[in-house]
Amino acid sequence: MQLKFRTPIFEIENLNFIVRGQHILSDITLQIFASEYIAIIGPNGGGKTTLIRMLLRLEKPTSGNIKIFGKKLSDFKEWHKIGYVPQRASLLDENFPATVEDIVKMGRISQRKLFSTFSKKDKEIVDDAMSKMDVLNLKHKMIGTLSGGQRQRVMIARALASKPEILILDEPNTGVDVVSQNRFYKLLQKLNKEDKITIVFITHDIGVIVDDIARMFTINQKAIVCNNPKEALSCEEMSELYGVEAHLLHNHKHEH
Amino acid sequence: MFEYDFMQRAFLAGIFIAVLASVSGTFVVLKRYSLISETLAHSALVGVAVGLVAGYNPLWMAVIVSLLSAWLIEYLRVSFSLYSDSILSILLSGTLAVSIIIVSVGGAFNNSLFSYLFGSILSVSEDDLVTIFVFGGIALAVLLVFSRELYFIAYDEEVAKTSGIKVKFLSFLLVSVVAIIIALSIRVVGTLLIGALMVIPTVSALQYRVGFLPTVLISLFFALFSVVVGMTLSFYFSLPSGATIVLCVIFLFIFSLVANKR
Repeated sequence: MQLKFRTPIFEIENLNFIVRGQHILSDITLQIFASEYIAIIGPNGGGKTTLIRMLLRLEKPTSGNIKIFGKKLSDFKEWHKIGYVPQRASLLDENFPATVEDIVKMGRISQRKLFSTFSKKDKEIVDDAMSKMDVLNLKHKMIGTLSGGQRQRVMIARALASKPEILILDEPNTGVDVVSQNRFYKLLQKLNKEDKITIVFITHDIGVIVDDIARMFTINQKAIVCNNPKEALSCEEMSELYGVEAHLLHNHKHEH
Repeated sequence: MFEYDFMQRAFLAGIFIAVLASVSGTFVVLKRYSLISETLAHSALVGVAVGLVAGYNPLWMAVIVSLLSAWLIEYLRVSFSLYSDSILSILLSGTLAVSIIIVSVGGAFNNSLFSYLFGSILSVSEDDLVTIFVFGGIALAVLLVFSRELYFIAYDEEVAKTSGIKVKFLSFLLVSVVAIIIALSIRVVGTLLIGALMVIPTVSALQYRVGFLPTVLISLFFALFSVVVGMTLSFYFSLPSGATIVLCVIFLFIFSLVANKR
């Protein structure tokens, strides 16, 4: 009952996505509320990324409705409220001529007026975003010279520079070592708890963040919402959806 | 050499074109769209051919056809699932074929077409200079106003789109500006060589592995250096201007490559 009083950021209703007669997503109905920490899991090809891409209007659904902050996607204008870090973010072109600061500054661009220059306030926000993600000391380094973990934090700093209310992260751990990952999870948790930023995290490794997340969506063409992720790791529905992978997750949990 | 009016005009045109080509070239190269400069240059040749045969100003016609061609490329790229490079390649040979037919049927296969193919410092008229400065000025202003957005799009088109930047409109704007710049440049550098002036200074500047602004400035310096040195050599040794400029810029590229070898 408590959920009814929370502000929804995304409201997804009866969403279908069909490509050449094949159902990629069927009848998805979900809500994402302000200040939540949500994990989205599911097998490869199950439609996790497709769902996120629809929320960001990078793909059009075959049918169904998506509302964002109470508005239709097509009517929504304040896209700076959404911070998105795609899957390949930390693997982009190594030779791109950009310092860490150049990249994080990109987060301010969509809110600028046509002829305005980069203001003192913009600079403060950019520095603040870098310091939150622990990359302020790297600000003059070239992006291509950083490690996978550092680059990943820069990408999130860029998303933070637009002052988002929600962060959507699509498996941002590709190519990142375990120590950096743990540090990264702590930073995410802090953003969620202290800055009240809603976090939607697509991952295949749920065991590591199970203590941080509030709810979990399992996407494999259909969606299953687990309101208690710790219990859900052993639930039967998960096994059906995941097959062998559910056992892996299950074992993983017991090792902790 | 500046006692000659034509050299003054050539230098003014050349210097401004160096600025235009290198600044727009930065975005084109970073967007992995280098081949578009070659394709648009060949399309511009259709305009030149029509101009020569029908008696209109070839430079104006080049601007118009090059723009139309840029829009067609963007339309094909967005609307059909074709590879960008194959579209560019098809249009490159297609437009070249059209212009050869037009010139051949119209009987204009002569020196004046030759000057558009390879560039000629002798051929920049006062009218050309005005056209170059007016259209080039507008093109440069557009690039500068939207430089930060274009930089973001070049880095990650999808993330730029999700953050609310009008990616489709700005990509369209970029190819339009590039089309205009290329059409303006063919007088001095020539159709067959303008691609080099647009692409090589940026690729050379990238070898220094510095941030965005320093990269643009290095690229600008390389383009200016090549045009000034190339034109001077071309004057004193009676060499074709476009080819001399391109050889200068290639020398700078090799130098940058060797100097920054990891």
